[in-house]
Amino acid sequence: MSLPPSLGNRQAGAIDPKLLEILVCPLTKTTLEWRSDRQELISRSARLAYPVRDGIPIMLPDEARSLGDDE
Amino acid sequence: MAERPSASFGFRDVALDEKQGMVDEVFHKVARRYDLMNDLMSAGLHRLWKDALVSRLAPPRSGRRPYQVVDVAGGTGDVAFRIVDRSNGHARVTVADINGSMLQVGRERAEARRIDGVTFVEANAEDLPFESGRFDAYTIAFGIRNVPRIDVALSEAYRVLKPGGRFLCLEFSAVDAPIADKVYEAYSMRVIPAMGRVVARDEDSYRYLVESIRRFPNQERFKAMIETAGFSRVGYTNLTLGVAALHVGVKI
Repeated sequence: MSLPPSLGNRQAGAIDPKLLEILVCPLTKTTLEWRSDRQELISRSARLAYPVRDGIPIMLPDEARSLGDDE
Repeated sequence: MAERPSASFGFRDVALDEKQGMVDEVFHKVARRYDLMNDLMSAGLHRLWKDALVSRLAPPRSGRRPYQVVDVAGGTGDVAFRIVDRSNGHARVTVADINGSMLQVGRERAEARRIDGVTFVEANAEDLPFESGRFDAYTIAFGIRNVPRIDVALSEAYRVLKPGGRFLCLEFSAVDAPIADKVYEAYSMRVIPAMGRVVARDEDSYRYLVESIRRFPNQERFKAMIETAGFSRVGYTNLTLGVAALHVGVKI
């Protein structure tokens, strides 16, 4: 997982890169992909996108978006 | 009606899948005044109890890598800030809480106090979003009694710890001294909900807190649950005659 350098800053919508290193999908415990354009953490194995709001990842399946067929 | 798994919600038994939502609502309501209410309800004792937890943890102040702690149900950051402070900044604490309102309060405080080394994640203690074997310590202060399936949360604690990693849990417990138990009962059942009504303008939420304390397993029963989850060298220390207890264990 590579992160753009801007993520190290404490700006709105940024996420701590050290936090991203330790996060996994709570359902499948597999690694996540960071999608900066949508501010989401993608779990391919669970087909879910976890939102990141104000820099806080919301790692709850109930709050996650289901991935579409083309994603 | 078919039997559904149930969990305690205060003195009521509720369906297991309903408990989390009810607990969420309580903490959304009380988030802003949570630490103030803790001060009033415990007459400031919760600070001493949290200090006892951090002293027992004794996070190292130096080392090759940062000392990694996950503080579960610690949304307002109170315990996390103490750990970072005690470690001289060597500890990095990941705060996981299922409640967004509590995390919001914690993050605002971290920014206001310019505390580095604390990060916030919204997560369920029963399904932690962390790799196995990541943390040197798992702490949880006054949180585990609000988890619907305590055994599942304990298994997750075990999973995310490194070998040698330590589990420390602070929770209200059972007062076992004569007279003191009666005084405590009267205080908790009458005085605390009244304080909740006046200070947080929310008597029901605080009635829930009191009732959930009384439903929580006593020192020995909780110790057995921690052992069942796989921990070794499990023990506990009573604080203030058992009003609270600090349980500890090690993943070997």
